[in-house]
Amino acid sequence: MSGPIEKMRSSRKVLAEYHYEPAQIERGYAGKTLYVNLSNHKIEAKDVTQQMKDIFIGGKGFGLWYLWNAIKPETKWNDPENEIVISPGPIAGITQYPGSGKSLVVTLSPLTNSIMDSNVGGFFGPYFKFSGWDALEIQGKADKDVVVFIDGDQGKVTIEEVDLDPSASHLLSEQLTELMADSEQDKKNVSVVSSGSGAEHTRVGILNFSFYDLRRKTARLKQAGRGGIGTVFRDKKLAALVVKFSSLSGKSNNPADPALIAKTGVKITREINKFDDTQFRMRQIGTANLMTPMNDYDLLPVHNFKYGSHKDAVGISSEVLRSRFTQKMPDGCWVGCALSCCKAVDDYVPKTGPFKGEKVLVDGPEYENAAGLGANCGIFDADYVIEANFYCDTYGIDTISTGTIIAFIMECYEKGIINKEITGGLELNFGNAEAAMELIHQMGQGRGFGKIAGQGVRRLKKIFAEEYGGDPAFMQDIGMENKGLEYSQYQAKESLAQQGGYALTNKGPQHDEAWLIFMDMVNNQLPTFEKKAEALHYFPMFRTWFGLMGLCKLPWNDIIPESNATSDSPEKIPEHVQNYVDLFNAVTGKSIDKDEMIRQSERVYNFQRVFNLRMGFGTREHDAAPYRALGPVTEEEYESRQERYDKQLKEDVGINPEGMSTADKVAAMRKYRQERYETLIDVVYKRRGWTENGVPKLEHLKDLGIDFPEVVEVVKNNL
Amino acid sequence: MITVNGKQIEWEEDFTVERVLKAMNYTFPKIVVRVNGEVVQQSKWSEFKVPDGAEVHAHHLIAGG
Repeated sequence: MSGPIEKMRSSRKVLAEYHYEPAQIERGYAGKTLYVNLSNHKIEAKDVTQQMKDIFIGGKGFGLWYLWNAIKPETKWNDPENEIVISPGPIAGITQYPGSGKSLVVTLSPLTNSIMDSNVGGFFGPYFKFSGWDALEIQGKADKDVVVFIDGDQGKVTIEEVDLDPSASHLLSEQLTELMADSEQDKKNVSVVSSGSGAEHTRVGILNFSFYDLRRKTARLKQAGRGGIGTVFRDKKLAALVVKFSSLSGKSNNPADPALIAKTGVKITREINKFDDTQFRMRQIGTANLMTPMNDYDLLPVHNFKYGSHKDAVGISSEVLRSRFTQKMPDGCWVGCALSCCKAVDDYVPKTGPFKGEKVLVDGPEYENAAGLGANCGIFDADYVIEANFYCDTYGIDTISTGTIIAFIMECYEKGIINKEITGGLELNFGNAEAAMELIHQMGQGRGFGKIAGQGVRRLKKIFAEEYGGDPAFMQDIGMENKGLEYSQYQAKESLAQQGGYALTNKGPQHDEAWLIFMDMVNNQLPTFEKKAEALHYFPMFRTWFGLMGLCKLPWNDIIPESNATSDSPEKIPEHVQNYVDLFNAVTGKSIDKDEMIRQSERVYNFQRVFNLRMGFGTREHDAAPYRALGPVTEEEYESRQERYDKQLKEDVGINPEGMSTADKVAAMRKYRQERYETLIDVVYKRRGWTENGVPKLEHLKDLGIDFPEVVEVVKNNL
Repeated sequence: MITVNGKQIEWEEDFTVERVLKAMNYTFPKIVVRVNGEVVQQSKWSEFKVPDGAEVHAHHLIAGG
């Protein structure tokens, strides 16, 4: 490591330098934000206004507000005025409650051309805030690769050219940590944000946020994965952001009521210690605990979301993945996280690619990696999943989009829409791990068919139709994207509420807004359209709140308190909701309740909807879902679950399937399901205070207190 | 007949909560079971008899990734 570090150290060329007196954090806020322009090297501080705190709170709210002010309706993702905004939120950085180290990243997406947000762990967000900043705006584009250093100890920000290789994120994170740290022990005070070569060649680039692991003596990575934020990062010629802050303490947020934070933290930590081993085993398996139940309940996406389970899924089951994790101790991405869902495979030796034969550390695999890269592509091989996970991360490409892209390509390949000549010799049948891995390398390195694949499903549909004669209607049905973003990895066909949970979203089909499959399909708690709509109001608002605060969602519902068994609304985990109300009040000194909590989110959520309108999106047509997300597209899908679908036709649709051809049954089912989806949209929009076209009503915006003149103007233009 | 999460299934004489969950293929580790409105603790699932005509709610406590 010393070779590249010395080269970096001696090559540092400071392009701009800014000195500041780090702000004293007061009740969760620094009161200042940092603006950095990579084109003209301007660095400046901005004040956080009371209106920002009251309306936008922090995190995603601050990101949206700054981006709104930075860009115009005609701005494109790769225009210099597009910004990447990173904001941790007022609760971020407390060390007494699990999952409190998150940041939200907001930008214009190269996949959707509209607003993208992504929630990410690692040390960067808290360290950045404690360095004196509530948000970071990066605007402009550099001529050559640059690094932005934020030294919270010295009160110094620099834009620098450094001789480095930005192609492999895990190495760059390691190297920049070493460069910035004074000693081995000091490395824990450094966090790096970087991407990789894949972000330069695809639209699905990610940001890796590092957290230094003192036990392993290495920088670990957490991802802001969705929507191509890393692609914007590299388009700006930004190689990395580096922050250093050495004075972390349990009171760094200077909260109003530290005793209440401590009490709330002790309570949930006891719950975790008592129940985790018999509940979700987050400390043992992390999110990979979902692999087995998703397959058992026919919810694991298989073969481009055709099916929900597979006989070979045992090859990547929760227990198989657990057996591959090498650490046997709790492992979290922020200080004090007792839920400790991070998992890693130490000393994995890749069989392919630029790190073939070398020992590497693989962070994960998590559920989405195994489900998307594995099951959805028909590959049930744990080694493949681990290796694909490693390369996606270090190339800086999104595992979720990559899984859905490859699955789509595989179905097109098997249908003859594309062939070996088009793929450059890759036989991309479902289950071909070797070909899939090569495609990931091509995406990561900008070679061959990978350059096309990296454009994402929406653009692939167009390319396959225009250049290879693919049937646009069929590809529309099976191309699992909405708004241009690839679906995350849950089979939603049998849950109407989740179909809305995916497509009636602000940024596209990521499950962080709503995950209602079990409530709807299994528990049958949402039997009417009105109940589904209520859930599609409450849960997106509730989950949005985590992104305003700098919190992780997992400690909300991946540990269940004893009180829940007798609760009237167990799906909300009321005791934990109260914990969050208490945390907010304890940090900020305010006095909100659980209803105001939802209102806080509602303001930001509706503002984001209006922002989408401003960018030319955000109406009903953009909430359409591919039919594969709603029901069986093909006869083989129907016949694979014929008993279920025949019963539904008879009991729900009122059609006797006896004597009907499969094609006719598919058509009848499609008509029924599409009508139900349209009805769902109507009822959800009404509940959310929107018009039939999905536009927030002016009276609703006024009621929320976000009827700013520029917001009203956008809405009026869309009524 | 009994109703489980709104779906009717044939009642069997030796139905316990455990057997009902097995019949439904409910394998998830965290389920709150109510039989005719009464919560049945997990430790009692293997012995608690589910009577004919019962309304069973098996709430899977999972809200996703």
